[in-house]
Amino acid sequence: MNDRILGTAALIFAALMVWFGVGIQAPFSYEPVGPRAFPLLLAGIIALCGLWLVFKGLDKAEPNPPQANGRIALMVVYCFLYAFFFQKLGFIVATTAMTILVGRLFGGAWAKVAIGGAVMSVLFFVLFDRVLDVVLPLGILENIL
Amino acid sequence: MNDIVAHLGIGFAVASSWTNLLVAALGSFFGTLVGVLPGLGPINGVAMLIPIAFAMNLPPETALILLAAVYVGAEYGGRITSILINVPGEASAIMTTLDGYPLARQGLANVALSLSAWSAFFGSLVSVCGIIVLAPLLARWALAFGPAEYFVLMVFAFCCLTSLLGNRPVKGVLAAMIGLAIATVGVDANSGVYRYTFDSVHLFDGIQFVVVVIALFAVSELLEMLEKVMGGHSVEVQSSGRKLFNLKELAYTWWSVVRSAFLGFGVGVLPGAGASVAAAVAYSNEKRICENKDPDAKFGRGDMRGLVAPEAAATSSAIGSFVPMLTLGVPGSGTTAVMMGALTLYNITPGPVLFETKPELVWGLIASLFIANVMLFIMNVPMVRLFSKVLSVPGWLMVPGILCVSYIGVYAINAGTFDLIMVAAVGGLGYLMRKGGIPMAPLVLGVVLGDMMEQNLRRALSMTDGAVHILFNSNISKSLWAVSLFIVVVPPLMRYLKLKKLAKARGV
Repeated sequence: MNDRILGTAALIFAALMVWFGVGIQAPFSYEPVGPRAFPLLLAGIIALCGLWLVFKGLDKAEPNPPQANGRIALMVVYCFLYAFFFQKLGFIVATTAMTILVGRLFGGAWAKVAIGGAVMSVLFFVLFDRVLDVVLPLGILENIL
Repeated sequence: MNDIVAHLGIGFAVASSWTNLLVAALGSFFGTLVGVLPGLGPINGVAMLIPIAFAMNLPPETALILLAAVYVGAEYGGRITSILINVPGEASAIMTTLDGYPLARQGLANVALSLSAWSAFFGSLVSVCGIIVLAPLLARWALAFGPAEYFVLMVFAFCCLTSLLGNRPVKGVLAAMIGLAIATVGVDANSGVYRYTFDSVHLFDGIQFVVVVIALFAVSELLEMLEKVMGGHSVEVQSSGRKLFNLKELAYTWWSVVRSAFLGFGVGVLPGAGASVAAAVAYSNEKRICENKDPDAKFGRGDMRGLVAPEAAATSSAIGSFVPMLTLGVPGSGTTAVMMGALTLYNITPGPVLFETKPELVWGLIASLFIANVMLFIMNVPMVRLFSKVLSVPGWLMVPGILCVSYIGVYAINAGTFDLIMVAAVGGLGYLMRKGGIPMAPLVLGVVLGDMMEQNLRRALSMTDGAVHILFNSNISKSLWAVSLFIVVVPPLMRYLKLKKLAKARGV
């Protein structure tokens, strides 16, 4: 991940902003500056920054230690899965599963992460849903509890 | 003068209701816990709590008090680890390690902790007085601002924040622009046109502020932690020795505390310069002054004056940074930007009018900043052991816990899956941006100010039917442009000249 890649990404982002932004038009206009101008202005500045980074940027990100990239990618996948199942499976089940998977990633032993996850999810459920009135989904446990 | 007393009366009446006192105590406690955890600082704690405070249906002033207490508490917690184990909990505590840790090694850990609590308390006292005097004046001045002046003021805030990032101003600008771009998603308030919604119902209201904040300050922070496997720290607090500093030490450090507290407030009021800048400036300032006067000064080897200076300055600037947010509606730091986003959840827009329309909110917040510091002062010494226990929580339990609390908050806002998936996606992207060296504070500021900035620009331009000169017309805007230009151009120029000088010296 160096500045050239970052700059290219910024250029692509700016291009997308323009691509999807030129069509923005108000059906009736009462003001001299419509809804399209500001996003296009931003896209222009982003593109300039991108160009600067491509041609002038010298930074290189510190490389991650070996295996870290794999673990980080896995963590992102877990974040997506947790998001996806948070409501469907319900808070308690999803959180227990997430704690086991993420806990393993951070080097916890199987038994510890399983017990930790179960205890934590029930505790948080009671704390937030019952005590603090922050409603959490029950999911598949709906009929049991 | 009577005005001020009356306002303070309102403030303390609000802040000392039982609920608000309880909330302030819990907030300071939770904040300290977050601050103690390595890698998590005030901005993370505040970000995690915003949606939860909102979902609990706390009234706005109570929610704001909670967040302010967390903020102050986290600044505090960062110091506990700096002193005890030489690991700063967050950026503004780095200076504290320089003299705090040597003191702890000399068996004076408790004295150092109580002394740092005292200086932080004194810093908060100075800055709260500063706010009381300065804020109404600034607010009155800001009432004269038109849309053009506001637009320029926001440009100024961005300039401050990006130029302080040191040698990567382009990345700061890029971050700010990305933030502003995120804010354009959703229905345009003026024309009712949908922008960048891709026909998805979930995006009609724009990308939720909470989603962005949690993604950037909780999820991507956790991803960064994965770069190295963390073990729990075990900490031994030596219980030997005195628990409190004595009068001699108080007198010894007195002027350092006073000087640094005032300096910190001054730095904090400037948009962009936060607690870490204040701590660094105060430390080097004290070091210079004391070493001139006193040849026995042992800065860096456990001088108490080197401990109190960054402490007093950091706290006082953290509180001072509320001034631009409350009076001008333009936050000057990442954390206050996040707080301002929290207020927008309640449909409250901070700004000069807030002092007239919601005095209980503004003065309640100011009073509770003070109360939170008193509480921390009392809590600090007896509870140090408990707080340092947090460090022994292993990563495999802490990381899922943080992820879980973050998701609870995001879910609480809309009770839907879409926002959670957005959090995962933005969190992943945020990690990549962090790796690329893009600073997060201007990005958040962009998301918070995006709407206001665009609206003010369009309003200003519609006054002159699109002619740009209105942005440069008034004296206020002219001077703001001039100062903005100055802060953007001068630091890189200085660096360039310095480099040239160095090259010359080496060449000859």
